[in-house]
Amino acid sequence: MTPGLHVRQLHKRYGAFAALTDVSFTVREGEVLGLIGPNGAGKTTLFECIAGVLPADSGTVMVKGQQVPGTDRGAHLFFMPDGIAPWAAQTVAWALDFTMGFFEGDAARLPGVIERLQIEPLMRRSVGTLSKGERKRVLLAIAMLTPQPLMMADEPFDGLDLRQSREVGAALREHAAVGRTVFLSIHQIADAARVCDRFVLLSAGHVCGEGTLDELTAFARARRAEAEPDDPRRGRASPDGLEEVVLALT
Amino acid sequence: MASRSWWVMLLLIGPLVGMSFISAVRTYGELSGVNGTAAGVGEAFSPLIGIWAPTFSACELAAAFLLPFVAIRLVSGDRQSGALKLELQHPMPAMARMSVKGLVLLAAWVVASVPPLIGIVLWKIYGGTTYAPELAAVFAGHLLNAGLTVALACATASFTDHPSTAAILTLGVTVGTWILNFVAAVHGGLWDRAASYTPTAMVAEFQHGLVRLDAVLVACTLIALGCGLGAIWMRLGVPERRRVGESLTAGVGALVAIVVFARITASWDASEARANSFPRPDETTLARISGRLRIVVHLAAEDPRRVDLEQRALSKLRRARPDVQVRYAAATSTGLFEQTSEHYGEIWYELSDRKVISRATTADGVLGSIYEVAGLSAPALAEEDIFRGHPLAAEPMGAAALFYGIWPAAVGAAALWNRRRDS
Repeated sequence: MTPGLHVRQLHKRYGAFAALTDVSFTVREGEVLGLIGPNGAGKTTLFECIAGVLPADSGTVMVKGQQVPGTDRGAHLFFMPDGIAPWAAQTVAWALDFTMGFFEGDAARLPGVIERLQIEPLMRRSVGTLSKGERKRVLLAIAMLTPQPLMMADEPFDGLDLRQSREVGAALREHAAVGRTVFLSIHQIADAARVCDRFVLLSAGHVCGEGTLDELTAFARARRAEAEPDDPRRGRASPDGLEEVVLALT
Repeated sequence: MASRSWWVMLLLIGPLVGMSFISAVRTYGELSGVNGTAAGVGEAFSPLIGIWAPTFSACELAAAFLLPFVAIRLVSGDRQSGALKLELQHPMPAMARMSVKGLVLLAAWVVASVPPLIGIVLWKIYGGTTYAPELAAVFAGHLLNAGLTVALACATASFTDHPSTAAILTLGVTVGTWILNFVAAVHGGLWDRAASYTPTAMVAEFQHGLVRLDAVLVACTLIALGCGLGAIWMRLGVPERRRVGESLTAGVGALVAIVVFARITASWDASEARANSFPRPDETTLARISGRLRIVVHLAAEDPRRVDLEQRALSKLRRARPDVQVRYAAATSTGLFEQTSEHYGEIWYELSDRKVISRATTADGVLGSIYEVAGLSAPALAEEDIFRGHPLAAEPMGAAALFYGIWPAAVGAAALWNRRRDS
């Protein structure tokens, strides 16, 4: 996979509080990348800064080697925030239609997205009357219809039940398989482990690790060994699974 | 069109306009009761002053107290719901986005202006006369006023995080313009000049058929500034310091434009009664006067005679002779303790080395003094130079049913139909 988007030394403060400190990582073309971290880690702030809807204090976002200012990032990526109810008075059909027209979405993709996310029964309901899970599926449908090469979704599984989470996860993987890069901010580790190819671990505004599960496991093992050189378990006991890795590194 | 606030405005504007129209038609009918000629009081029987000014005043109320909420909902609603974060990812320039919103709101206002148009149709049915240029002037004045309200509301809605804060700010500015009008009435001078650009003063002039180019250009500048500020603050991804800098630049640019536009003196009197002009023969005679006419008025700002003088004579004189120099010489705003001073109440007319002193504040009195100082005789007025008015003793038949019953029912039905169509 070739590098698609580089985030370099991103900083963001809210007054005295440092929300993001020296955040750097890479999103590779065609992968499903998961941004993982506990609540308050700065995941949403990072997504908003990358998308250009929140100004970063410093740092750069580069696409294919070219620095892209915040106002121009809409040409390269689409960001779907969490917890929004856009165009609440309008119907789901209107919202999807508007997405197709306003963002020049791919009309051929529409029937498949509607079927995959099971939103056909919601089409005539207004966005404001949907439940949290229904709204989340509609928002993901909007994001999946947009044409930008990179799709970013903040907490795509929030509000979904177990079955829906699995179905949405599968839909996102299929979406990436047809050539789109997907970058997800997730706090449910199990969902992230199921869907993502690679992970960026964020804690207290710092990147604590970046890589595949194997790479992060090795990194966590090395960190433990470094931190506890006299531990008799060194080299044997290691973080097992993404949850343990996240706990070890964040 | 799905905005509930717009439907509420549409619902309320019918009865508001209806109340004004019915009251105006009744008063006009009572004054025309004998169906007599209106010689000498012809201006009182101008439909512009008697019917359209009060009828369209309901639109001024709606523009001040209802329209801001519709505009704020449109702009703040997107911010509150998160739609703005999606829309901002489209490469469309923020100014274009804000202009589109502004145009949608103006279109909504035009639809809300249907009740006064119904009033015009009713007036014609009653047998009343209409004069298209003055009606167009009134409509244009209210459209500009709506544009100012929309621009202000868009700017405050973009500045603030919450719609209620935006509403308070918008109403605060509206109240501020009223205070400016009050201060101008007390102190006159530059305050008076500034107050002539407030929405209230501007609408009042349009309602009297006066279209001042400087007022139109200043209003357009303020509308552009409001939309510009709205666009600047809509861009959530731009650092705040840069947005402040851009706002200051836009503000200074608008101020320079306003100062330049304020020097323009061109204006048009669109009223059939020529309510803002001297009779044509007088204007021709005034144009013949060579040299610069200076007028010194010894009247305080709050003296009712000064208000009379301004409205009945000097405003018309400035249109006929933009080079006239008027100076107010009173030392206080009320003139209460100046009444006994030697020259208080006098109006001095100076041309070259000649000087005439008068105390008359009527149009005829002022013209007489000017002709005297210029050594000219007053021109004779022909019959066609005198507006005789259009008296009409009519009852507002069917207006109550239309504005209080049919209009709200139709709006309610349309809102319901719109809701069902969307659901």
